[in-house]
Amino acid sequence: MTTTLPTLNEISAEMVVARSQSAGEPAWLTERRREAWTAFAQMNPPEWRRTDLSKLDPTTIAPSDGAHATAIQWDPALAAQGVVFTTLAAALHTHEALIQKYMDTAVEPLKHKFSALRAALWQDGALLYVPKGVAIEVPLRLIYTLATDGTAIFPRTLVIVEPHASVTLIEEFTSPDLRAGSFAGPITELFVGDGASVRFVSIQHWGSGVYHLAGQRAILARDANIEWTSIQLGGQVQHIEAETTLVGNGSRLNWLGATFAADTQHLVIAPWMRHVGHNCESFMQFKTVVNDTAYSVFDGMIKIEHESAATSTRLEEHALHLSPKARNDSIPGLMISTNDVLKGGHASTSGDIDQEQLFYMQTRGIPRAEAQRMIVMGFFEPALETVPLEELRAELTAEIAAKI
Amino acid sequence: MSNDLIIKDLYARIGDKEILRGVNLTVRQGTIHAIMGPNGSGKSTLSYIIAGHPSYEVTGGEIWYKGHNLLELEPDERSRLGVFLAFQYPVAVPGVTVANFLRAAINAHRAEEGKDPKETAIPAAEFRKLLREGLNVLDMDESFIRRYLNDGFSGGEKKRLEILQMMLLKPSMAVLDETDSGLDIDALRIVANGVNRLAGPEMGVLVITHYQRLLNYIKPDVVSVMMDGRIVREGGPELALELEEKGYDWLREELTGAA
Repeated sequence: MTTTLPTLNEISAEMVVARSQSAGEPAWLTERRREAWTAFAQMNPPEWRRTDLSKLDPTTIAPSDGAHATAIQWDPALAAQGVVFTTLAAALHTHEALIQKYMDTAVEPLKHKFSALRAALWQDGALLYVPKGVAIEVPLRLIYTLATDGTAIFPRTLVIVEPHASVTLIEEFTSPDLRAGSFAGPITELFVGDGASVRFVSIQHWGSGVYHLAGQRAILARDANIEWTSIQLGGQVQHIEAETTLVGNGSRLNWLGATFAADTQHLVIAPWMRHVGHNCESFMQFKTVVNDTAYSVFDGMIKIEHESAATSTRLEEHALHLSPKARNDSIPGLMISTNDVLKGGHASTSGDIDQEQLFYMQTRGIPRAEAQRMIVMGFFEPALETVPLEELRAELTAEIAAKI
Repeated sequence: MSNDLIIKDLYARIGDKEILRGVNLTVRQGTIHAIMGPNGSGKSTLSYIIAGHPSYEVTGGEIWYKGHNLLELEPDERSRLGVFLAFQYPVAVPGVTVANFLRAAINAHRAEEGKDPKETAIPAAEFRKLLREGLNVLDMDESFIRRYLNDGFSGGEKKRLEILQMMLLKPSMAVLDETDSGLDIDALRIVANGVNRLAGPEMGVLVITHYQRLLNYIKPDVVSVMMDGRIVREGGPELALELEEKGYDWLREELTGAA
């Protein structure tokens, strides 16, 4: 039996409220959803100059009915140490106060029309909570999937790592090839406590056709540390707004990215490093490869707030063009509102595959196409080598190779 | 079919600049053949053209090896035919480890048309054994192979890696372009040892060098002198010593005097 789900233009605030209530959600959440939906309905779309949403049609976007897209992979024995890793729907029954306290405080729900849409309609999602001092060695994995054409999901990831705890989390977005109109609006919020350490690997490798409009933010407390890897390979149109806010003194960020846009893909990412605390260090290196007639945008930013002091930061983006018709816009920015900066800089490079590298490898018998593949893999290696699971790394390698 | 490398009346330029002006040279199988010459005489250009560098335009002539005109083959096809160039300036490829690069090169040589590359790939244990042997001969640490290809390598490390590649690929015709540049005496000895272990009746070696020094360690059978894009003189090992003693100007004067 198939029922036709209501599309965005058919949904009303009453329907949003009714669904929340019938799911037994707490009143504060129902109210947040109502408020967000009202904002969505009233707002104009954000003016994203480099993101083409002209083909996004609300009459074809049908939010999924319930949370069917979340898969959690971990060792449940960790629960004995107080670790919580479960769907948000389940966690609302067991950790409501925690969720209420943190949710929506990193990614602002009413920032623009799409953030409001996500906040109003999310169903899928997971809570990861790591108690104070607990160190988890084995990577935890969270997979969001889109199984059917033309549906929309709004998954949200909420990660709370208490002081001096450590964890590795892989967040993945994956699907078969879908027809245009399939839609994902994820929200990811990470809270890294005093002296805590997080390795976060976020992988967007949807099949073709998917629109991916995401908001991600990590907030670092004192001496907190995050190693963040952002990998973007799939979908049709992507717009990711990501930020790490170094709030606590002495916090550190190391952010690596790999984006590969091919065919007619249009992949935009805007990672921001925002310095608030004293003596914080951040480093960002994003790599972009474009092929065919694809278009990618790197809109990275270092923002050094007036209350910060003794910041050290560097941002790099490097782009490789495999086709003369492919395009990459790199717009690295630096906004400084204080005189007290220790080190700050950014750099970006762009070019074709180095002919001397190709020649050198060919003189060892390696055919040109294989040499090209190896050079691209080498270009992405800094990000790829941080992917903690061998079989996942092999999967990504194959996906990248198929796009060359 | 001859396994000599035969260069016939080779002309080449880069941009508007003519560099090779009728090179005639035969490197016989089983010999070590040195080309000496002053800077700018076209020695390195010749080595690049043998290997197939895309920046040079060949305007005349042929290079024959094993029944093929090399000029008609891609650089990787020349390599698989047995031609090897040890670069004067090896190229860095960040993100590609030495181990992966060597394995890819070996497997490219082992590949056979119509066969699954997995079938012809070198078994892991055999690869490790070969590597260990090579590293040992060249006095290199095993950690070397996990580094990115030539990325941040010292001059000596780059030259050793060139010889390691040669040892693993076992070419039948090796061209060594200024392999001695930037090496101290100890490193030079090690590198020369690597070359001498390979050289033999099956292999031709073309040693390109500015100085006679390298030829103390890699003994040539034939010495050719290149000037202004041509081979101007050919002789035995004594010619290298004579050049070392009298300098290139002596030969230049003799040649212009004779003209």
